[in-house]
Parts: sequence; structure tokens; C-alpha cells
Amino acid sequence: MPTKIEKDSVTGRETTGHEWDGLKELNTPLPKWWLYVFYLTIATSVLQFVLYPSFSYGPGYLHGVLGYTTRQEVDQDVAKIVAKRKADMDKIGTLSFAQIKADPKLLEVALVDGKQVFASNCQPCHGAGGGGNPGYPALAAGAWIWGGTLDAIQKTVTYGVRSDDPNARTSAMPAFGAGLLTQPQIQAVADYVWVTFYGNKADGRDVSEGAKVFNANCAVCHGVKGEGNKLMGAPRLASQVHLYGNTREAIMAQVMGPKMGVMPAWNTRLDPATIKAVTLYVHSLGGGE
Amino acid sequence: MSDAFAAPRPVMYNEDVVKKFIIAAMFWAIVAFLVGVYLAAELAWPSLNFGLSWINFGRLRPVHTSAAIFAFGGSALIGTSLYIVQRTCRARLFGGRALADFLFWGYQFFIVMAALSYVMGYSQSKEYAEPEWHIDLFLTVVWVVYLLIFLGTLLKRQEEHIYVANWFLLAFIVTVAMLHIGNNAAVPISLFSAKSYIVYSGVQDAIVQWWYGHNAVGFFLTAGFLGMMYYFIPKAAGRPVYSYRLSVVHFWTLIFLYIWAGPHHLHWTSLPDWTQMLGMAFSVMLWMPSWGGMINGIMTLSGAWDKLRTDPGLRFSVTAVGFYGMSTFEGPLMSVRQVNALSHYTDWTIGHVHSGALGWVAFIVFGAIYYIVPVLWQRKALYSTRLVSWHYWIATLGIVLYIVSMWVAGITEGLMWRAYDQYGFLQYSFVESVVAIHPYMVVRLLGGLFFLTGGLIMVYNLIQTVKSPTTELPREKLQSGYPAGAVPAAGE
Amino acid sequence: MQSEVGDWIVGPFVAILGLIGLILFGRANDGEMTVFGAALALFAIVFIFSLIKRRFDGGHAVQAAAKGAGHE
Repeated sequence: MPTKIEKDSVTGRETTGHEWDGLKELNTPLPKWWLYVFYLTIATSVLQFVLYPSFSYGPGYLHGVLGYTTRQEVDQDVAKIVAKRKADMDKIGTLSFAQIKADPKLLEVALVDGKQVFASNCQPCHGAGGGGNPGYPALAAGAWIWGGTLDAIQKTVTYGVRSDDPNARTSAMPAFGAGLLTQPQIQAVADYVWVTFYGNKADGRDVSEGAKVFNANCAVCHGVKGEGNKLMGAPRLASQVHLYGNTREAIMAQVMGPKMGVMPAWNTRLDPATIKAVTLYVHSLGGGE
Repeated sequence: MSDAFAAPRPVMYNEDVVKKFIIAAMFWAIVAFLVGVYLAAELAWPSLNFGLSWINFGRLRPVHTSAAIFAFGGSALIGTSLYIVQRTCRARLFGGRALADFLFWGYQFFIVMAALSYVMGYSQSKEYAEPEWHIDLFLTVVWVVYLLIFLGTLLKRQEEHIYVANWFLLAFIVTVAMLHIGNNAAVPISLFSAKSYIVYSGVQDAIVQWWYGHNAVGFFLTAGFLGMMYYFIPKAAGRPVYSYRLSVVHFWTLIFLYIWAGPHHLHWTSLPDWTQMLGMAFSVMLWMPSWGGMINGIMTLSGAWDKLRTDPGLRFSVTAVGFYGMSTFEGPLMSVRQVNALSHYTDWTIGHVHSGALGWVAFIVFGAIYYIVPVLWQRKALYSTRLVSWHYWIATLGIVLYIVSMWVAGITEGLMWRAYDQYGFLQYSFVESVVAIHPYMVVRLLGGLFFLTGGLIMVYNLIQTVKSPTTELPREKLQSGYPAGAVPAAGE
Repeated sequence: MQSEVGDWIVGPFVAILGLIGLILFGRANDGEMTVFGAALALFAIVFIFSLIKRRFDGGHAVQAAAKGAGHE
């Protein structure tokens, strides 16, 4: 279509004279404010290039006159926070648990820190407030496998359970389903545990055969009365809280091919003072011994 | 030269492929909105995945984003671009019907295969570039066909000049091809395995990914849909484009600046400081070039503002431009490192993306579709403008609920994550921030439901427009195969 | 009709894609590739069938209309 410049009656502007499928364009100049703001953003960018790191030139980059680096900024921020905590955390790190507990102000700091550290690191498995989850001990209910004293908790948190750490707490239960016991024996022992320790009704079941199997195979670790053994990490059976569930089927499964949980060694991630703080918090949840 | 243009030859446009793309866009819109609503519900109540791997959040999320961006947005964009390029060049699509049909069916095949691979658990783990290598290669073939058709049509045009919409559309097609190939360079573990490894590693992989990711926003969701805007707003308003000069300047500045802005997605990471700073500066400079499109869109209405009362389709287009202006201000703001320190990894980002995706992209498409459907199917008018108004208000309310809840949620998260107590310990654990934003997750779900409802109203209205006897044109006005010498009427 | 030439290029091209699909389907190492290969082959068959069908069904009508319109 030939160029045909027209005057737009609404704005009084001229068109560029082109037309496509009935569409035309006005020849309006650039809005002044638009252009000036655009120039302003360019100017601030140039200023930023001068002050801060900007362009790379192969082996290096222009550092800018302020010499800013993100690493420096982060280091300064971290140093500020660490300085704020230092006095209290140093005390928590060096004093004994008894001494910390004797100082109400220091104990509060430890519990505040411990709560935060617990929520960020422990809660995903052990549940909010240490409520526990299937396979993860209920700390608030005192279902301790390795002990619920402050020192025992501190050791478990520091080195973990079946972790890579050489000092980790380790125990192993044999898979009785792999030839050690027959299927009827396993059924019998499950009945016995379920009735005697878990407190369910016998409903005419004869558990005497199961008792024999239990005393011969299980009692050495779990105790004749199912009281468990914290030195060996053998869970208490005579309890209302069970690691892998309360059903008879759960007991059978655990006897045949036991699941054995893993807890990381937190000394790779938390410093000793922080571990002490979280230990105090865990101990305070309601299950501490 | 001008003699050749003085007597234009009549053209029979290929509108069949445009219709197919419009139908596909409507279908995928509903799919995208539906999956989005379900995901929003999963975020509010995670157990809604019922422990089924193929509907867990990680697999369903790329189905939502791909359905929204590539299936809905892409189908609408390709369809309208083929419509625009034919009419503004006065030329039938290059390559004939078979090639256009291959473009349509090939593109749909890509979408279905990509979605299927996600739910089966196959992903490159690159945001917006999840499909594995073989699906990428197939898309490359389809995209080259698209470029061929578009460029071929431009080359055989009967107009001396190229209309501004086509600059944006061509920039979109060429750049997306470059981004797609560059970002997806991968080595499959075997020619017969779906799994592959990307050739880049570490922070280099990250910056290539966000060079791609940000320019997918820039050239797919911005340049492409600006092309759509430059045709449908002046057309529906019946007014000339506000400023040709502004369109030239904002086109070239947008194209030049956008490609550098990607690093702002990697602020405060192991990306070198100079790269972060550069990304921030280019993002800030991008503000006015982006707004150039908004000014041209809105000012084109001067002298035709009254049409907003009678044409709710145009209301969608203009509101879209408004949301575009808001998002392209929010974007540079969030790319400033100090602001980003608060907003990064929070739901603010999700809100920002959706004010662009729902407010700009979806609304500009709705506006275009309400215009184009009666034209393509040769109907008198839309079945019901009241329903369009209902769609408009329900969808707008949905967007407002969505972005406001995400702003509040995002700023809440950002502030909680950085709060220290008087002893110098973090005041909140992460899980406390998750609990804190739960109400906003529910409000967001509500916003999504509103938007979906609006979409369903639209689809019903469009089906009635095509089917209902009330919108039939009188027989003598129907054009069959477009008579000699006449360029098909554009809905007047 | 005017797209005849296009048909003769697009048809064989899609046929090649279909063959690739068959090979991928036959030798696939995982479920995804099996599905992709089979779907690609099926896509090619249906696409080419529709090309042929259109030539036989609507060829004459479209041709007449195109002639009437004085196509490019």
C-alpha cells in the first residue's frame, strides 16, 4: 500500500502513512518523562558499575571503587551474630549441665536456642515437641532406647545412632525369620509380646509356648519382663509407645526382619555448646530422666 | 516498487490452522487452571497427593507450568501469530496446508509427550525446560517449521513495510529457538534412553538455565504477547497505534536489555558478584523499555475509551496491559539485590509470576480470543457479552486474591526467616513459617478457583458463539473461500 | 490444490519421524522411551493418513473454490 500520511482527528497527530489490515500508526514523539526515566536508570546503572563489581575481562573482573564482595558482607553479618551469642554460648559450652541448670538466665538462653535448633534439625523425624513418628522415638514420652539422662542424650545427639561416626551408638537385632526361628515360633512369640507386654487381651490364646521362645531368644537383650536394656540399645517392650507400631503384625515383621533406624552424628553440623543446648531442650520435653 | 503494491492481489488465508490453535488454547487453558488449582490445594493440604507418585507436587508442577505457558500460552500465541502475519502481510501462510497442520499437530504432540514424561517421573530438573532430550529435539523440529512458515510468509508479503506486531513475533520465534537449543544441550545416557545429562555443570549450568528461564519470560511471555497486543488492541479499539517511534525504541531496547537480566534469578548464590550486579543493573534498565509497550497499548485507546463500556473483550486487553505494567515494575524492583534478599525463595516470587501469567498473559489472550472467535467462525457477535463481563470480574477478583495472598505470605516468610531474637538466635524455624502461611495458601486456592470458574464461563460462551443460532450471520454475508479482490472483513 | 508440493515434502518427512519412532520403540531401554517411540510412530501414521484422506475427500471441492478465488 502506498504511503499516505493522514491527520488523526482525535489527537491532531499525523500518521506514518502506512496501513496493514486497516491498522495505522501515529507518529507521536517519545514521551518526555519516559525518556528521562530511562536515561536515569542508565545513569544509576553506570554509577553502580563504577562503585560495585561489574564487568569480567577473562582472568578477572572490575571490582568497583568500593571493593564490595558478598563474602565480606556475609562474614560481617555472621560475626555480628556470633559476637552477640558468644558470652552465653561460651558459658554453656564450658559449664556442666548442673551448673547451667543452676543459672536460670543461662538455662533460658539454652532452652531458647535448643528449641530453635530442635525445630530446624530434629523435628522432621522426631515430630513437633518430640512427639515421635513411626520409626522415630517419641522423646517427650520418654521412650528412650539409649537413655534419657542429660549425658546419654548428649552422647546420642553428638555421635548419632548407626551413623558414620566411630563413636556412634550401634546395636543389631538378628533377623529371626532367616532360619533362627520357625514360623509357628514367631507367631507364638508375637502373641506373647502382644499380650504380655503390650497389654492386649489373650482371648483364649495360649502364650506359654511364646513365653518359652521369648525367654530363650529375646530376654537376653529385651529383658525377661520386656523392660529393655539401654546399655545395649534394646528397646523397652513393656510400654505404651512402640517404635514400629502397636499391632501384632508389626511385632511379627520386626521379629522376622527387623528395621533398625539411623540417626546422623550431629557433631558434623552443630558445635558442642549448641548440642548441649538442644540436649537440655530435649530433656525438658517431658521424658527426661 | 510501490507500483507492485498499488494493486494488491486477493489472498485466501489459511484460517483452518488458526482455528485449531484457538480450540487447543482453550482446552489447555482449562487443563492448566485445573492442575494449578489442584496444586494449590496440595500446597495447603499436602496429603492430597494420596501418596501417589504421579500426582505428587514435584511431578504435577511442571505439568501445570508447561500447560499454562507452552500449551495454553503457546497455542494461543502461535495461532494468533499465524492470523496476524497473514493479514498484516496480505499473504497466505508459506508452506501450504500440510506444513501448517504439521506445526499444529506436532506442537500438540510435544505438549502431550512432555506432560506424560513428567508424570512418569522423567525430568531434566530445569525449570520451564523439563522435557528430556528426545522431546526437546522433536520440539526443535516443530519450532524450525514454525520459523519457516512465519518467515516465509513475511518474505512473500504484499505490504512494503513490516507491521510492528511481526517484529515482536519474529523476535520471539528466533530467540526462543536459540534459548531452547542453548539451554538443552545434553548427552543422553544412550540413544534409546530417556535420561540425559546436561553438558554444563555447577554454577555455569545455573546461569545458562536462568539465561534461558528469564528470556523465556522475556521473549515468550513478553515479546510474543506484545505482538498479540499490537494487533488486537488497535483493531478492537479502531484506533491507530499511539506512537510508531516509541514502538521502534522500546522494541530494540527491550530486545537488547532483556537477554542480560537472567542473573537476577541467582542473587546471593555462588554466582560471581559481578554477574549478579550486572544482572541487577540490566533489570533496572529494562523498566522503561517494558513500559513502552504499556504506554503504546493504553494510549492507543485515547479517543476510544467509551468502547470499554460496550466491549468487555477490550476491557480484558486493557487490564492485561495494566497488569503488564505492574509486573514489569515489580520485576526490576525484585531484581535489586537488597529487595531480593527479602523476596528470594518466598511466595512473593510466585505471586509476581502469576500477576504476569494471569493478569498479563491470560488476559491479553482472553481479549484476543473474544475478538477473534466471531471473526474466524463468521458469527455476528459473541453469544453473550454479559458472560464476558462475568468472566472479567470473577477472573480479576481471582487474580487479586492470588497476588495479595502471595505478597503477604512472601513477605511473612522473608521476615520470619531473617528474624533474630534478643539472644542472637533465629527466632523462627522453617516449619513455623510454613504453618504461618497456611491461611494464605487457602486464599490462593480460592483465587485459583475463581480464575478457573471464569475460564469455564469463557469456554461455554465461545462454544455457544460458534453453535448458537442466535449468533448466525445472514446467509448473504457469509464468505466462502473469500471472493476475489476482497480481504476478509475483520469483524466489523 | 495449492499445497500439493507441500504435501509431498511434509508426508515423507513425517514418515521418517515415524520410522525413528518405531526404532526407538523397538530398542527402548525404559518405559518413557517405549511410550514416546510408539506415540511418535502412531502420530506419523495418523498424520499421513489424514493427508491422504484430505486429498481424496476434499481435494476437488477445495480445488474448485481455490480456482474461483484465483489463488496465488
